[in-house]
Amino acid sequence: MRKIAKQREEEGAEIDLTPMLDVVFIMLIFFIVVASFLKEAGLEINRPDDNQPQDPNDSVSIVVEIASDNQLWMENRRVDVRAVRANIQRLLAEDPEAPVTIKVAKGATTGIVADVADAAREAGQYNVSWATDKG
Amino acid sequence: MSLRDQAGSSAASKQDESQIDLTPMLDVVFIMLIFFIVTSSFVKEPGVEIDKPGATTTEACPNGTIIFAVDDQGKIHYNKNPIKLERANFLAKAAKDETPRANIVIQADYDSPGYVVEELFDSLRSTFTSPPCLSTIDE
Repeated sequence: MRKIAKQREEEGAEIDLTPMLDVVFIMLIFFIVVASFLKEAGLEINRPDDNQPQDPNDSVSIVVEIASDNQLWMENRRVDVRAVRANIQRLLAEDPEAPVTIKVAKGATTGIVADVADAAREAGQYNVSWATDKG
Repeated sequence: MSLRDQAGSSAASKQDESQIDLTPMLDVVFIMLIFFIVTSSFVKEPGVEIDKPGATTTEACPNGTIIFAVDDQGKIHYNKNPIKLERANFLAKAAKDETPRANIVIQADYDSPGYVVEELFDSLRSTFTSPPCLSTIDE
């Protein structure tokens, strides 16, 4: 009799962890499934504040204008999309620190802006700003 | 130590041997659980098909989990709903409060009007200090 009572006591003292383990496992599986390892990739583009006073360095920045018909203009010349990189590279050779500013007219599409930003980054200038062309 | 006690302890140790000690596994499982809880960022997908522009210099957007989409019609989508431009900053602020590390990503269609993306950038400026990420496809 005494032995049986002792055994019962021992069993009572030990907590059964199995139900907690079940819950913890279910939570673990939930969070593993929910954790999205989705990594967005893209281009970082600055957007300077229009209300801020113009940066004094702005005069030396390389300007690419995108007209409302998606045509590209650099230094008052029409430039093909494929030639933008070479033109930016040429201007960067004169001033390697010059940031690139893309002036976008209202009718232009985002894709062409991304193309120009990509060209600037290919040319080695990662400081690309998106400015509005009010003209 | 009495004889009876010795016999009892040997019986208990036999019982222990037959039962696997789950404590170390539980420790590991808890650490994994905490890791996944901390790292899980609940990304709200915009829920529209976007024809992203391609770029050879595509880089990962660090912590880019607040995603806005601008479709080819110039409509802004967030969390599977079309939203108005005026609401964008409110939603972004709410998401930023939830996960302060989160950064903004704009998925813009190749043919989306540039001025919509511009306005979206401008309206989100008060919430985000780092430059926004324009989502592209690595070519």
